[in-house]
Amino acid sequence: MPKVTGRVAAIKVDRDGSRLAEIACPPEAIPGAGQYVLAWAPADRDSPLATTVFSARRKQNSFLAAPQLPASWAPGTQLEMRGPLGHGFSPPANCRRVALAAFDRGLQRLLPLIFQAISNQADVTVFSDTALPGIPAAVEVFPLGDLPTVLTWADYLALDLPRRAIPHLRERLGLAPGVALACPTQALVFTAMPCGGAAECGACALPSRRSWKLACKEGPVFDLNDLEW
Amino acid sequence: MPKFELSLISPLLNASGTLGFFPDPRGPLDLSLLGAFITNPISLRPRAPASPPNYQPYPGGFLLHTGYPNPGFRAAIKRYASRWAQSTLPILVHLLVSGSDQASLDELTYMIQRLEGRPGIMGIEIGLPPNADAQTACAIAQAALGELPLILRLPLENALLLSRALSQDGLGDTLSAVSLAPPRGAMRVPEGLATGRLYGPALFPLSLATVLAIRETGLTVFAAGGVYHQEQFQAMLSAGATAVQLDAVLWRGGWQSP
Repeated sequence: MPKVTGRVAAIKVDRDGSRLAEIACPPEAIPGAGQYVLAWAPADRDSPLATTVFSARRKQNSFLAAPQLPASWAPGTQLEMRGPLGHGFSPPANCRRVALAAFDRGLQRLLPLIFQAISNQADVTVFSDTALPGIPAAVEVFPLGDLPTVLTWADYLALDLPRRAIPHLRERLGLAPGVALACPTQALVFTAMPCGGAAECGACALPSRRSWKLACKEGPVFDLNDLEW
Repeated sequence: MPKFELSLISPLLNASGTLGFFPDPRGPLDLSLLGAFITNPISLRPRAPASPPNYQPYPGGFLLHTGYPNPGFRAAIKRYASRWAQSTLPILVHLLVSGSDQASLDELTYMIQRLEGRPGIMGIEIGLPPNADAQTACAIAQAALGELPLILRLPLENALLLSRALSQDGLGDTLSAVSLAPPRGAMRVPEGLATGRLYGPALFPLSLATVLAIRETGLTVFAAGGVYHQEQFQAMLSAGATAVQLDAVLWRGGWQSP
């Protein structure tokens, strides 16, 4: 995996106080929706690991990196980047009713999907209990507790959820045991991926139908039916 | 004495568990920098990941608990032996010992005998079971002696004690080297207590002191632990280490050659 050099072009502070960074880099290094890059600032000499960076918005030669980001990153900070890594979202081409739900503070990581769906002229509904980033006015927004009501409406559902939310997912979706989801559903499982796939270290292993899956290589976006939940 | 000698073309190595089960040119490191490739830990039986695994950052490093997942010895041979044979780098296979009882020692001997003569394999590195004492370390070293050069990986926190015991037992001439495994630590987390291996730059002073002390016993040392920069690599060699194993720095962004 080739390494590329990037640069923090700007820092933006969102309504909830979280920091986003505009990272200038070669277009081929920009992660797709749900993919990630590992970025490290060489000036931060004794940083133990790289930071896992997701895209919130793609531009031509830069992207807006979703939180959480190191406090030391400032405009002008040089970055060494490895990626894009992992599997991102792949919504069906013909979906027209797209629902997205962020179970934590992960709505920024779903933003590229929102813009992609709107450009495909799909209706988009977002479920979140956190402060909303700048999303288009055409998007309907509901509290997360309303998510079960949309399951019969949507023809594609995308989730962003921390690993700890997986055991409670069926309850949050309002699904009885054994009842399957009515539409294709993908989930970005947010978990630590320290090796970024270099070692298959197992830190990001998730229980799956057959054995386990590594979020760093086989995810972090999974078809929900491939996971044990 | 092993039939073959350990001969490294470069004193730079990856630590076990940092670059996978075979040298992958698509990985984060220019493999031509390495003197040999050390595989992820392999146990006789398959091991699932820890449930759940744990990663906890702290200033200067991080705690990691993964359970060393691997497909088991037989599946590993099936999957990776041809890649080891084709590798331009010599391979050091890292084997996990499950315990200190005779059955565990027999398992170890079984695995080592099946690696002897396989193309591409230059030697064996053995990871000790948790909390192995001096008697266990010596018994494992004795059981592992065969044709291939042998490296015994000692937990950093007990490495000096175990090195003295190995040296006093006369194993200094039969072991090719001892290497250093990450020390274990604990952290308070919302769910309770997290335990695991420790990585990061904060370990370096402890690792360097340990290498200096082990050299006093006369054993050959492969240093590891918190090496993030060239000057630390050189410091380890100056302290008497024959080679230096890199760990989490490889995940951060690779290694800057001088």
